[in-house]
Amino acid sequence: MNHNPQSDDGKHDDDTALSDFLASLMEYTPTIPDELVEHYLAKSGVQCPDVRLIRLVAVATQKFVAEVASDALQHCKARQASVVKDKRDKQQKDKRLILTMEDLSKSLREYGVNVKHQEYFADSPSTGIDPASRDE
Amino acid sequence: MNDGGLENRKEHGKSQKQSKSSKFNSKSDDFALAIAKVAVAQVCESVGFQSFQNSALQTLSDIIVQYIYSVGKTANINANLAGRVEANVLDVFQGLEELGSGLGFAGASDADRCVVNSGIVRDIVHYVGDADDIQFAYDVPQFPVVKEWKETGSFWEKGEEPPGEHIPNWLPVFPDPETYAAQSSEGNETMSVLNGEKSELASFETKMERSLLNLQQRFACNGNEGGSSRDGGDAGRAREAAESNPYLAAPLHFGEKEVEVSPVVLPVKLSNEVALRNIVSENCIVGNHVSVLETFAPAIEAMKSGFHDSENRQKKVLHNQRPMVHFKIETGKKSLGSAPNLNSQKKDLEKIASWFGNDNEKYDKKRRAEKILKEPMENCQELAQL
Repeated sequence: MNHNPQSDDGKHDDDTALSDFLASLMEYTPTIPDELVEHYLAKSGVQCPDVRLIRLVAVATQKFVAEVASDALQHCKARQASVVKDKRDKQQKDKRLILTMEDLSKSLREYGVNVKHQEYFADSPSTGIDPASRDE
Repeated sequence: MNDGGLENRKEHGKSQKQSKSSKFNSKSDDFALAIAKVAVAQVCESVGFQSFQNSALQTLSDIIVQYIYSVGKTANINANLAGRVEANVLDVFQGLEELGSGLGFAGASDADRCVVNSGIVRDIVHYVGDADDIQFAYDVPQFPVVKEWKETGSFWEKGEEPPGEHIPNWLPVFPDPETYAAQSSEGNETMSVLNGEKSELASFETKMERSLLNLQQRFACNGNEGGSSRDGGDAGRAREAAESNPYLAAPLHFGEKEVEVSPVVLPVKLSNEVALRNIVSENCIVGNHVSVLETFAPAIEAMKSGFHDSENRQKKVLHNQRPMVHFKIETGKKSLGSAPNLNSQKKDLEKIASWFGNDNEKYDKKRRAEKILKEPMENCQELAQL
């Protein structure tokens, strides 16, 4: 901690911003429940009696999921836009946005997570069908 | 799977859980993973997806579990580096920065930046401001549930003298000797004769069985004070338990035995672990501990060593126990209705082998229930063979 008067003001602002943010965290309930986050944090060795910290991690995780999901959504929409023809069923399918392994692995690759999904298993009756329309 | 509904997904996911290659591939984590799946599904729904592939959902929930785990780990390391035990908000921010450094964030290249000012934090603040507040779909209890552990007091606390000078009195008391030693001298004689005949493993098993037997005997005695008057109640309850689904039977209180059904099958059924436990309650109800124990001991041992060697002894024991059977013929009939398992001794040996591998109590109870229901059929067969 430096006692430079000029940076003190800056720090003060940062601190207030931070404490405001943490206070706002208490009002916002993240979708990921606190108990789940607490469980995994405890598993990794974090002792934190402060609920705000748990909320912070929960919010960060939720943001991560939202980013991945939105990337996957963009991939999905891009694929549907390129595939759409004059057929009626494709237009009907447009309304159904499905999170598929393919889109997910594409979006996760940008985050450094390599997820490889099997194209098909030779003993399944739906072998070789287009993955977007295949039921799992 | 293209389910639209959220309610189905949780059960569906649970039932379709496949083994994952992640390091959280353990049964104890199933509950948390299921919750994570629901949460992830809710978030994805808010982003705009209408349905999910099951494997994609599982993968994503697995990933966020690892995400939380690594954020926590990094935060913990940062705290320890700073000489603290508890993680700080700054530690968490640093952990998030580390995770986000692959993708990059605003201000990452600044050498002298303050953690609080980093792009990561700003992003999160913006996210909190923009995102909708979606409640988690279910009420999540505190988990994992910590079981209360009842401490056995020390020698000093209980006021007992330790059995040897070398044992300090602040150590916990020994368990009661009956639980690990043979009970009576008469029993000892027959047992020693039989022990000589068998292998070490078998004798070890029998000792364990006997100690379990004794332990439960004493518990049962403590619990069943009323002796024969309880017979009626037990019988009634037993009949009910046999009739209804064993998995739906009411939970037991301490000291009770699941197999009050046992009196039916008890005398003829000697080849089963359940029989041993049932013998206990039977003994207490009838009132002659030692004699029944010693009569059963040879049969118990005989069962372990082999079926054919002990036929005669079995006959004798059967004979002795006949008078006890006088009630419960109806339950026997009902059991006939269930699927009869006409396996031979091989199944018994399998059962015996599996006794010492089963940690799961629920699984034990299940197996016991199954054995009870199947036993009368086996016994009819055995009798026929005899």
